[in-house]
Amino acid sequence: MIDFAIYALTLVAIWSVMAISLNIQFGMTGLVNFGQILPFAIGAYAAAIGVQYDLPWWVGAVAGLVAAPIAGILVILPAGRSSQDYWALITLGAGEIFRLTMLNVPSIAGGADGVTVSRLPDRTLAAGLAVALCVVAYAVAQQIGNGPFGRMLRVIREDETLAATLGRSPMSFRMRVTVVSWAMAGVAGVLYAHVIGYVAPTSFLVTDTFLVWTAVILGGPGRNIGVVIGAAILILMSVSTRFLAEWSGLPSDLVANLRLAVFGLILVLMFLFRPAGLFPETKRVQNVDGL
Amino acid sequence: MLTVSDVSIAFGGFQALRGVSMVARPGSIVGLVGPNGSGKSTLLNIVSGIYRPDAGKVRLNDKPLPLGRIEAVAARGIGRTFQVPRLAQRLTVLQNMLVGARDQPGERLFDLFLRPGRVAAMEADALARSVAILKRLGLVEKANDYAGNLSGGQQKLLTMGVLLMSDPQVLLLDEPAAGVNPVLIEQQVEFLRSLRDEGRAIVLIEHNMEMISNVCDVVYVLDAGAVIAEGTPAEIRDNAEVIQSYLGQPA
Repeated sequence: MIDFAIYALTLVAIWSVMAISLNIQFGMTGLVNFGQILPFAIGAYAAAIGVQYDLPWWVGAVAGLVAAPIAGILVILPAGRSSQDYWALITLGAGEIFRLTMLNVPSIAGGADGVTVSRLPDRTLAAGLAVALCVVAYAVAQQIGNGPFGRMLRVIREDETLAATLGRSPMSFRMRVTVVSWAMAGVAGVLYAHVIGYVAPTSFLVTDTFLVWTAVILGGPGRNIGVVIGAAILILMSVSTRFLAEWSGLPSDLVANLRLAVFGLILVLMFLFRPAGLFPETKRVQNVDGL
Repeated sequence: MLTVSDVSIAFGGFQALRGVSMVARPGSIVGLVGPNGSGKSTLLNIVSGIYRPDAGKVRLNDKPLPLGRIEAVAARGIGRTFQVPRLAQRLTVLQNMLVGARDQPGERLFDLFLRPGRVAAMEADALARSVAILKRLGLVEKANDYAGNLSGGQQKLLTMGVLLMSDPQVLLLDEPAAGVNPVLIEQQVEFLRSLRDEGRAIVLIEHNMEMISNVCDVVYVLDAGAVIAEGTPAEIRDNAEVIQSYLGQPA
């Protein structure tokens, strides 16, 4: 049971990093990234490929940290000045192109069979690293969100023409947001690979992007602590489905699929009744007396 | 000095502006009047870098403006407001003001993380300037309200305040008085005069002829994309062509 709790904590921390990363992009900046799983997958595959070539673990980790934001820039460039709808389609497409390439070119990383990755020797160590990464990601997101940078991101979210008439380049802010948040997701992917010990295309489906989106919408777009709680709720629901399957006697794959339906239901209910999330973005009140 | 020379632009087959020239000197208020669709807002859109004209030049202090690039034009010291006020609705009045300040170290990731002292100093300075401007506009009690919760007139005042935070040489104001109650208009007129006295050039689109006569030094009348008259407000009032095209019935 303790082992399971530690494993659950590890997953919650890793997916919280993903939620924080999407929160910077969508919650603060309004970037609709439907390919959030892509930087995560790049990180995981970087770790896997590094291990395949007998390189030390940190080479794969650095490769993941660097490759994910570079991929982000490559994806955002064609999106350029085009509208948010295209950004959603381009990111969705990019994520799928990467996954399908890994699936269909076995020479890179084993195709559908995937490859094994050196597992972290100790579960407690894995949990510790994941929590540490989550804390760092949270601190970075807080520093961005609460400062002048985050203020400008929210202006771009609300009205990018306004940002431009104030002399700011919305594209430059989007680029920097993409670099930071994709690097975060890339590192989360590296860690995920070493925790699970196995990397295959089935781990990086559109439904995984969907999970991160549900976490952000549930927790509260624009609020870092909110999206962490959102991710925690969803991951705990997810990992507890196996107990639910045992207890109810239903087949476990049916329960697993029902889980997706429940996520969809959560998304719909949130949009209808609580669009700002469980923990809405707070109003920043500053004291102006005596000025 | 802002100089617009022989600017033309067409959208599809529609010639929105044909050879329009205009001058706005520092310390003066220039009025743009004309019927709806005469090209007033299009002219402001060109000067502020939203559209690139088919022909003609716009210069600020004898240097050409990078037309077609909004952020580059804004960075040169040209600020504008819109007919429908553009504000970050889900930020507070004060935050909207702070966003107006230029060259913020806190908007660079390096400084944000590694030079907190610099960021804090800039923030304190911007906060003091914001509060001073909000006081001038009579909006200081609303500092911590969401911008989206202000009345339409207050939003228009706030957009001017945000603009001022960037300390622009030229202000392009698109119908600042439309839909604003008379008391606030009075406040705006005072405000515009004080901005002019600070040596800024102001270009003002307005249908409120009383306001135009009150504050403008020069008025340009546009009709069907061309300037049909220019002069002092008094000269314009007596111009027969203007009366026919804009003010309606012959006097």
